[in-house]
Amino acid sequence: MTYYEKKPEKKFFEKELEDYRDSVWGCARCNWCQNQWGWNVKSAEFSEICPAFHEYRIFPYSGMGKMHIARAIIEGDFDYDDAPEVVKFLYTCTTCGACEMNCQRLQDKEPLQVNEVLRARFVRDGVGPMPEHKNLIKSVKNYDNPWMQPRTQRDRWAKKLPIKDANKEKVETLFFVGCTSAFDNTQWHVAQNTATILLKSGVDLGMLGKNEICCGSPVARIGDRETFIALAKRNIELLNSSGVKEIVSFCPGCFRAMTHDYKEIPGAPALKARVFHTAEYIDKLITEGKLPIKGELRMRVTWHDPCHLGRHLGIYDPPRRILQAIPGVELVEMERIKDQSWCCGGGGGARTAFMDFAQKTATKRLREAQKTGAQSIVTSCPFCEQNLGDAAGKMDDGIEVLDLTDLLIKVLDID
Amino acid sequence: MNTTKQKVIQKKLPREVYNALKNVVGEQWIYEQRSVVETYSKLSIEGFSFIKKHNKDPHVLPACVVLPASTEETQAIVRICNRYQIPFIPFTNGQVFCNPTTPDPTLIIHLSRMNKIVRIDVDNMNATVQAYVDYGQLQAETMKRGLWNGGSPLATSLCKLGSQFAFAGLWQTDLKYGLLNRNVVSVKMVLPDGEILTTGSRCIPKAGDFWEYGPGPDLLGLQRSGIGTNGIVTEITLKLHPWVGDEAFPEVPGGRPSLRDVHEPKYDSPAAPLKNHKLYWIEYQDLESQIKAMIEIAHSGIAIGLNATGVYSAYYCSQTQDMTVERCKNKFFPPYNCYVILANITSDKQIEYEEKVLQQIVKEHGGTFLSESYKPEVLEALKPWNYDCIRHSTGYRMNRKMYANAWLPQGPFENAFKTSREWKKALELFGEVDITDRGGADDTPFVYALQRGHFCLFETDNYPDPTLPEEIMKAATYGMYGAAAFIRNDMGPMLMAFLNAEPFTTMFPEAGPNAHLFMRKIRKVFDPNSVASPGRQVFTEEEWQQFPKEIKTAVNKMRQMQGLTAVE
Repeated sequence: MTYYEKKPEKKFFEKELEDYRDSVWGCARCNWCQNQWGWNVKSAEFSEICPAFHEYRIFPYSGMGKMHIARAIIEGDFDYDDAPEVVKFLYTCTTCGACEMNCQRLQDKEPLQVNEVLRARFVRDGVGPMPEHKNLIKSVKNYDNPWMQPRTQRDRWAKKLPIKDANKEKVETLFFVGCTSAFDNTQWHVAQNTATILLKSGVDLGMLGKNEICCGSPVARIGDRETFIALAKRNIELLNSSGVKEIVSFCPGCFRAMTHDYKEIPGAPALKARVFHTAEYIDKLITEGKLPIKGELRMRVTWHDPCHLGRHLGIYDPPRRILQAIPGVELVEMERIKDQSWCCGGGGGARTAFMDFAQKTATKRLREAQKTGAQSIVTSCPFCEQNLGDAAGKMDDGIEVLDLTDLLIKVLDID
Repeated sequence: MNTTKQKVIQKKLPREVYNALKNVVGEQWIYEQRSVVETYSKLSIEGFSFIKKHNKDPHVLPACVVLPASTEETQAIVRICNRYQIPFIPFTNGQVFCNPTTPDPTLIIHLSRMNKIVRIDVDNMNATVQAYVDYGQLQAETMKRGLWNGGSPLATSLCKLGSQFAFAGLWQTDLKYGLLNRNVVSVKMVLPDGEILTTGSRCIPKAGDFWEYGPGPDLLGLQRSGIGTNGIVTEITLKLHPWVGDEAFPEVPGGRPSLRDVHEPKYDSPAAPLKNHKLYWIEYQDLESQIKAMIEIAHSGIAIGLNATGVYSAYYCSQTQDMTVERCKNKFFPPYNCYVILANITSDKQIEYEEKVLQQIVKEHGGTFLSESYKPEVLEALKPWNYDCIRHSTGYRMNRKMYANAWLPQGPFENAFKTSREWKKALELFGEVDITDRGGADDTPFVYALQRGHFCLFETDNYPDPTLPEEIMKAATYGMYGAAAFIRNDMGPMLMAFLNAEPFTTMFPEAGPNAHLFMRKIRKVFDPNSVASPGRQVFTEEEWQQFPKEIKTAVNKMRQMQGLTAVE
């Protein structure tokens, strides 16, 4: 069989490293995995796109480097014992997918998938993930969330909000809150804003409350396939049995897991409900005239595309349309946007294991945002908001980090 | 992990060398871990490095990677290499000819930290950049100031300018602006013995960057296309030219892709070329009329770019490999075609005039412009060129599989026929590899009109399956046969590589006996310890003696097929 002949397609979560043998041998060293797509480069300062290569300047941190490491491992050129450092290279990656985007566009190859399959191999063989990730996995297994929080705390954010209990009554639309917004009280406002906006628009909204479980995205990205598949199957059963027609998620990680990753599990049943990200759903409500906006917000803002929402799943325009629908808000764009967006640094387990690197990456994004003259950088992802927010707090001239719903709630016609 | 397979063990630097290097760059910027050196060992288009990988040859593994931040740090590293006789290889992207070739522990000097634009001198129209700055970065910064460097290479705008100087620097707009090495004002280099050389007028302190020849003799010329043998370029100053297009590339109307739909052709379809630029595609009935028309266009003085990319457009303009193969098979792109880039530099009437001249020449040679009424689907598919003709981004699609063996002869336009003829013979002799460039056997050979058509570059390549060593060897055979064929036909030197890179330098002494013997002498002076990029441009006697016998035999076989005597 030659290089590009079609092979029987496997689902991602059953693929092994050897399935990428042809691809890794064919890495062309074109270096587009480290750089913005040529036509989009507007300045030298913001021309690179791989956060890890930008910081460390050596190839193993780049998509190309992972391809070469994968090739050597497949061919047995070195073993774990010869190269214990590899685990660091694998997990410094934020899984932002910039390498995959440009490599797919140019070389038709999959450096991010290769990195994720390498992670899965390392976890399977007991040499990965990073020690910090092991606590996260343990927490997901014991508490159904990565934050070591008891299940009973999951719906505390929702006190006083008239959201239906989807465990007990039939609802059209389920708000899948996600672990971070549910447990991190600095992010409760996002969940509260989202629920308020949906309720105000007349959405028949419910939630699973204490019965909601982790979508599995964090463990999938870390490479613990076994835990992810078990969680995903539980989730599919839970969500399908709830009878909901729509699921709205604020977290791009949950959104990607439910819309993309679950379909890549061999033998898993399909999720019956249609899944929306908040930005998509609110955009739809505005278009349908269901969201009562009044008042004005005089602000100059820039939009940060969360990688799993934008580059991975193509939700670029809905959040921008929402910002432009708010009277008085001026949207100014950064140089690196949409498919070429610079990652916040918080994804893929990088923040968990390499906080310093994650924060440096976030600071670089904030500096880029400042160059637009915006007062605030707006996004719609709990991990981006955590990581960018923490970095902004450490800067003397830090720019404000806001969630999309923070702006919207201010102009909502609420009595 | 399968541990039954044979491991490849790297050599390590002596500790005193490692410590000396660490003292120069700091612990953070020196690496000798096994996985790190792996990523500096298999190259993009160098077939032999793939063969060595298949053979588990440890000589492709460097011992250590070090990242200097300045010319002075590079100098200190090179001096350490001389002191301890450690071979070193400068490295940027690693696309070509940089692999370790010696059994010694080899040091990689990766220049990725030297990525700053030092200055853009608008008044005197030049820019100075560090070694890791690429074409796209320089273009982006200069276009905002109404200037540009004059082009970008087909191997994409990610090529580092310093690296390209070490070869030749081929651009799509060479017709007007010439090769990169015609646009260099000055280079700062660390020579193999650790001296710092500054060429051009800049070698006189505070004289400024304005004249590439300096006070003479022309040391810049000595360093051009040196492939790293004569030193490491750490800074390069380039001429800038007036830019009349947009300050930045407009958004493509099709929007931005996501990983869900990245292969949709609409994302590669700019509506039109940049402001004040036009791009024309012309189809001819046969190769002869095409080449004659190209000669007239080149000599008429119009246009900034004139090139025939032949089958390569199927790569550049196809979003997947499957689509590429399908288009090649179905001959989607016209067999004899070329493109012309016009730029409105002097006045609004310029393009109008140049269009008239172009139309007249095309008409006289029976050519047809692709248009909305003639093969519009082909014109639509060629839209990536609307932006690529200025900043090339899709070029390395040709290397999706593996780009091993290239014929890159230079010469007058009529050499297109010789290239085509020789390639047909090679196809008959050796058969096809996984994907074979027809190379003009039944369509346009690749032709780049350079420097107002004073000469051209022709190119043919093969794309073997990188997982199959026998296919790579077959592709390499094409390369050796081509080199011999061009010698036999008294054709000009190959551009960029091959006849100015070992083993071809030594194995084809007919290509430039005086030049190559002289370079061997020069190397003794510049590189008394033979530490700079060993085995790259010209072997020392010792390196030649150590060169694998089987490769000598293989090249000699090709020489004999062309009636040339064997080289001992």
